[in-house]
Amino acid sequence: MKKLSVLLCILVMVIGFNMCRKAEKFADDDYDERLSGGGLATVFDETSKAFTHSMPGLSANDERVHGRGDVAFEQTFVSSPAPVFGGLGPVFNNVSCISCHHNDGKGTPTAGDATSSLLFRISTGGVTAQGGPEAVSGYGGQIQDQALFGKQAEAKINISYTDVAVTYPDGETIHLRKPSYTMQQQYLAIPGSYGLSPRLAPPVFGLGLLENIPEQTLVSFADENDNDHDGISGRPNYVYNPQTKQKEIGRFGLKANTASLFVQVATAYQQDMGITSSLHPQESCYGQSQMDALTDDPELPDSTLKAVVFYVKTLAVPARRNVTDAEVKRGQQLFTQLNCSGCHKPTIQTGVDLTLPSVSNQRIHPYTDLLLHDMGTDLADNYSDYQANGKEWRTMPLWGIGLFEKTNGTPYYLHDGRARSMEEAILWHGGEAEQVKNNYMLLSKTDRQAVIKFLKSL
Amino acid sequence: MRSKVLMLAAALTLTAVACKKDDDKTTTVDFTTAKQQVLTDFTNKIAVTGYKDLDDAANNLYTKIDALNTNATDANLTAAKDAWKSMRSVWEQCEGFLFGPVEDNDYDPNMDTWPTDYVQMDSLLNSSNNLELADIQSATLSLRGYHPIEYIIFGDHGNRTAASLTARQKKYMVSLASDLKNTCHALYISWTENPVNYAQVVITAGSGSTKYAKKQEVYLAIVGGMTDICEEVGEGKMKEPYDAQDPAIVESPYSGNSLVDFKNNIIGLQNVYLGKYKEQGLGLKDLVAAKNKSLDNKIQGQMAAAIGSFDNITVPFEQAIISQRVQVQAAMTALGTLKTTLEDELKPFIIQYITD
Repeated sequence: MKKLSVLLCILVMVIGFNMCRKAEKFADDDYDERLSGGGLATVFDETSKAFTHSMPGLSANDERVHGRGDVAFEQTFVSSPAPVFGGLGPVFNNVSCISCHHNDGKGTPTAGDATSSLLFRISTGGVTAQGGPEAVSGYGGQIQDQALFGKQAEAKINISYTDVAVTYPDGETIHLRKPSYTMQQQYLAIPGSYGLSPRLAPPVFGLGLLENIPEQTLVSFADENDNDHDGISGRPNYVYNPQTKQKEIGRFGLKANTASLFVQVATAYQQDMGITSSLHPQESCYGQSQMDALTDDPELPDSTLKAVVFYVKTLAVPARRNVTDAEVKRGQQLFTQLNCSGCHKPTIQTGVDLTLPSVSNQRIHPYTDLLLHDMGTDLADNYSDYQANGKEWRTMPLWGIGLFEKTNGTPYYLHDGRARSMEEAILWHGGEAEQVKNNYMLLSKTDRQAVIKFLKSL
Repeated sequence: MRSKVLMLAAALTLTAVACKKDDDKTTTVDFTTAKQQVLTDFTNKIAVTGYKDLDDAANNLYTKIDALNTNATDANLTAAKDAWKSMRSVWEQCEGFLFGPVEDNDYDPNMDTWPTDYVQMDSLLNSSNNLELADIQSATLSLRGYHPIEYIIFGDHGNRTAASLTARQKKYMVSLASDLKNTCHALYISWTENPVNYAQVVITAGSGSTKYAKKQEVYLAIVGGMTDICEEVGEGKMKEPYDAQDPAIVESPYSGNSLVDFKNNIIGLQNVYLGKYKEQGLGLKDLVAAKNKSLDNKIQGQMAAAIGSFDNITVPFEQAIISQRVQVQAAMTALGTLKTTLEDELKPFIIQYITD
């Protein structure tokens, strides 16, 4: 009996001490690598609709608002006055969100057609009082290359490509295509000089998670003077937020030139579709000769705008595939060894947001640092956007990139869709990524394929 | 003691026998062969045949519209309206599988964009634009496709008369029908001929397909397409006007064809599941029944219930959202139930049983 009580005491002590153990972080191996968007915002779908799902952890009411936003995102708008969905134009780039963001993903690098996803920003090269790119008189900050019947598109952009051959040290040659863009059929002559910047519609999923990464986390990635001498600097963009009327860290847009999803969506409605809202109550062609005489602004109800913002905020991230495949594992290792992960950060912890558990305190794998990096002269648009100079672009998140072949029919990569494969996209990397790219080129063909296979698992 | 052991053994045997799955008893083809056959039959007997019918229906519509243009009689107008409706029925059934070229190459928005842009349509008709095919092809999406044709031949409240068609409207409708014909032909060709040859892409899934490394992927695309159309009808096309109680936002309002459209969407979904369009092939149902008969019964029952629920709505949909809300709600509920089953049971079934 005595023995038993001693045993019991020991047992109680063991249990007791174990309860005192502090909760520790799991080792990296203990997490499920497939959960790119964390535990409450990852979906398992590898079809063409992989980017179109709501985050699984939404409440019933959040799900309802997401659904309303979904409908609006897909809705084609028409010219005013109209019984429903009016407000399009007078000049615009496309007629619905989904026309450019094909299947909520990336689109096609053509401009001015119904199925086009490429648009062009324009600037004198000067800087506004807020620090942004100065608009061109008569054009504003963006070329609207479509117009309502009876109006004239501001211009059409001619896109042509020239062949650029790149040869690996092992002798294999890859053909890239370098684009050149020229404005044609301008509705108005531009007196001074100007610069154009091509922007291909990016995927719109997982954005609520990116918006919820603490600013100090992003800043901690920055290394503007390359103090660690890895060739990679990286710095945040600070941009004017017209909603808060403050300078804030930029997260969205291909040059991290927008601070919040609300501003991103409202600006897209106004600039890309000619639809005014409470944030941008003036038409994109306000003050220009093609301005309409309607007094219907703002054209977009606030509830619709907010629902669409919520929709993109709560689109889930597709889960990774084939994570245990040996070649994928090898590629993942190389990705780190080459220091691709110097900018394409594999793992980030989001901040706390009590109102939306799906994006709150999640361990995510976006493969971006959301910072600006000099990408070299070949990718340069020579167009400044707040802090971003003409060679800098924001690190593109790589999550979901392996599904572009499904979601987009024909996949395109990089800021202007010039790359037709991931290999081409890698080979375009220059500037801060020059050394990493050169090291990639030195790999054996087998290893290069492993890196691609890893990327396809994202 | 010995008898107890024997009894135990007997019980175990019984249990084991009872547990044995009767996998291949319900079908004549074994599951592995069937997995391939379902894809082949879906491609040839449903998708390709459906798009061929659409191509033919578009030609027929063009012929009838052209005849109406040449000779604007009410008989020719009626023939054009009938041709429009019968083409719509083919198209709405094809919407039961909205994946592949139809989404990759934006054929859907090219022909089925809604709403109608009255202001731009009026400006176009009142302009000096030539209204030739090339002019229509470069027009914005809301000025192309089914619904502008519908607006012209049916009129605002379905009250169009042949005599009231203007010369400009006639010119416009001929070019619209010609544009639609081209779109449908291109869609059909994209399934049957190079460079896309999507029939091959689907049939060779898991064995050399350029798009689908595994059969499972294309199966998931098929089930995804079924789920999406269920959602689009139940939670979009019906629910939006129902919630808003606004007849103005009902699709296909001029022809009063909305309910027929909805029903055909779900029949299209059912065709895919049953493997039957004009002739019977092997369908998803054969795979499901082989492994889980009760799930097959459930899906078939819910599809029939959803399709049948439209018949309880006895007035055009624009009116029903005001006067028959109970029936409309019942139809949306039936669609919601079906969608949940497809999403929560059929999709996991595919993931479990079609792993290659």
